[in-house]
Amino acid sequence: MTTALEEPAPGFEHEALFYRGDEDFLDGLLPFVREGLALDEAVVVAEPRARLELLRDALGDDARAVEFLDMAEIGQNPARIIGAWDRMLRERTAAGRRLRGVGEPAFVGRREAEFTECRLHEQLLNTAFDGGPSWRLLCPYDEVHLPRAVVRGALHSHPFAGTTAGRRRSPEYSPEDLDGLFGAELPRPPDAVLRGVYGAADIPATRRTVAQYARTIGLPEEKVETLALAASELATNSIRYGGGSGAVSMWATPSAAIVQFSDSGQVGDPLTGRRMPSLEQEGGRGVYLVNALCDLVQLRSSERGTTIRLTTWR
Amino acid sequence: MRAHGELIEVPGAGATDHICWVYDQDDATFDRAVRRFLAGGLARGDRLLCIGERVLACLAVEDDDFAGADALLGSGALRTMTTRQAYEATGVFAAGTQLAYYRAATEAALADGFTGLRVVADVSPLAADPGVREELVRWEHVADSFAASGAGFTAMCAYSAELTAEALTEVASVHPLAHVSAEPTFRVFFDDDRVALSGSVDTFSADRLARVLESSPVSGDGAVLDLARVEFVDVAASRVIARWARDLDARSLPLEVQGASPVLRRMWRVLGLADVAGVRFAA
Repeated sequence: MTTALEEPAPGFEHEALFYRGDEDFLDGLLPFVREGLALDEAVVVAEPRARLELLRDALGDDARAVEFLDMAEIGQNPARIIGAWDRMLRERTAAGRRLRGVGEPAFVGRREAEFTECRLHEQLLNTAFDGGPSWRLLCPYDEVHLPRAVVRGALHSHPFAGTTAGRRRSPEYSPEDLDGLFGAELPRPPDAVLRGVYGAADIPATRRTVAQYARTIGLPEEKVETLALAASELATNSIRYGGGSGAVSMWATPSAAIVQFSDSGQVGDPLTGRRMPSLEQEGGRGVYLVNALCDLVQLRSSERGTTIRLTTWR
Repeated sequence: MRAHGELIEVPGAGATDHICWVYDQDDATFDRAVRRFLAGGLARGDRLLCIGERVLACLAVEDDDFAGADALLGSGALRTMTTRQAYEATGVFAAGTQLAYYRAATEAALADGFTGLRVVADVSPLAADPGVREELVRWEHVADSFAASGAGFTAMCAYSAELTAEALTEVASVHPLAHVSAEPTFRVFFDDDRVALSGSVDTFSADRLARVLESSPVSGDGAVLDLARVEFVDVAASRVIARWARDLDARSLPLEVQGASPVLRRMWRVLGLADVAGVRFAA
């Protein structure tokens, strides 16, 4: 990577950075951040807490001009991250600043289902921001500790990829992966699953059934109410847009409570629920709200129908 | 807190009573309820006003609760009107004209030495017409505000069970207390000058809530919405509240929301509803 000031390229530049260890991480990030500061760009770093502190310390005085966000918080559910970048991009662009971001959604320690969603999220970033205002987003990947599949996925989801030795266009970048990822079947639930079907008259009953289940397995009251709200919104979506009826499934694992809604409708836009709906827009709020409130949301849709799986960590 | 919820028996008479009672045609329970409601008013020293043929029929029944209707009629402590006479007395049906009529009648009762005016009215014909029903629901909500204010006006609103379930739900949900076979999913009523919401509001009932809130009488100091008894509100219901806040704001009236759950407040933040209109959240 060069530290010389370059004229920024137009468009959205989405780049993966593969690093090996803390020193390598800093070798890659420090020039990227400082180049942005030198160009008077608005630099925002979204990293898990430990990496964020590492970078902040290494930046010294320069850290004051950088905005730091805890990726484990804003990106706990990866489907929230595009909304966060979208808001920052709009705000900075409106203020006449160019945005330069660092985002490490697929950090070490994530659960498998979260890595799956990070993969879809990284792919969708291109859909969301290609053709919009120009900005750069650098996504660090820990090549040493992450599962191989996660690293390989990043080569597919980023048009640019590199190491501290230099960056290049990723020959493996494959935007066409999106349909397969968005239409994929989620892993099958275990045997012990509670199932029910709902129609137009059953929204309150569905909400109460989900709340009752969440209480029974010992979730705290605020999570119970959150799931009840999610159930109401998602079941309502099935009635309105998903063929008029749907099915709810609920099961528990040692680490999570899972509630899943399925219907026969198809969600045409894979970005549904990832960006803040405008105030006057009629639909599109339910999934956005669910993304914001739930620990992990997995939306899949194809000609076969739509499934939304909500995971609440215990 | 004003008593609210499902009603099985007419409660002891109070200064802010406003109850809804759904009756069947040959319904001795209704006869007893009317007479009990009237007897409670008499004991308080209220003037009684009975409206509608089915209500007037209750007066003829003799039981322990209420007796001597003829003497009361003679003394001016009881007045009666058929439905037609009531239409003629109050003019074109609108919440505003109704309020003016009942406010004047209440003040007249007070001037005549009564504690207040206690009304039993069969309003079924108005509820049967969907066009008029919207205005009726507005009037019931305004009437609840008037009753809750302690001005001396109390009322039992009688509705025929032959009305559609939808009509009965709509009218029942704007009374704090209702005797109705199918409980409304939500109620809006006044507690002092606060608007209290109880029950559940979702996408399918949000428009109904919007119509009620729009017609809420609001003083110059602004409005207070009490959500402490809410079981559930969804996105659509929250947006209705935000739009009401916006409409109040346009009239320079602030809205304070009390008792909102943590989940509702998170939803408010996530959806950017604070940008629709400023709402003050309080405990």
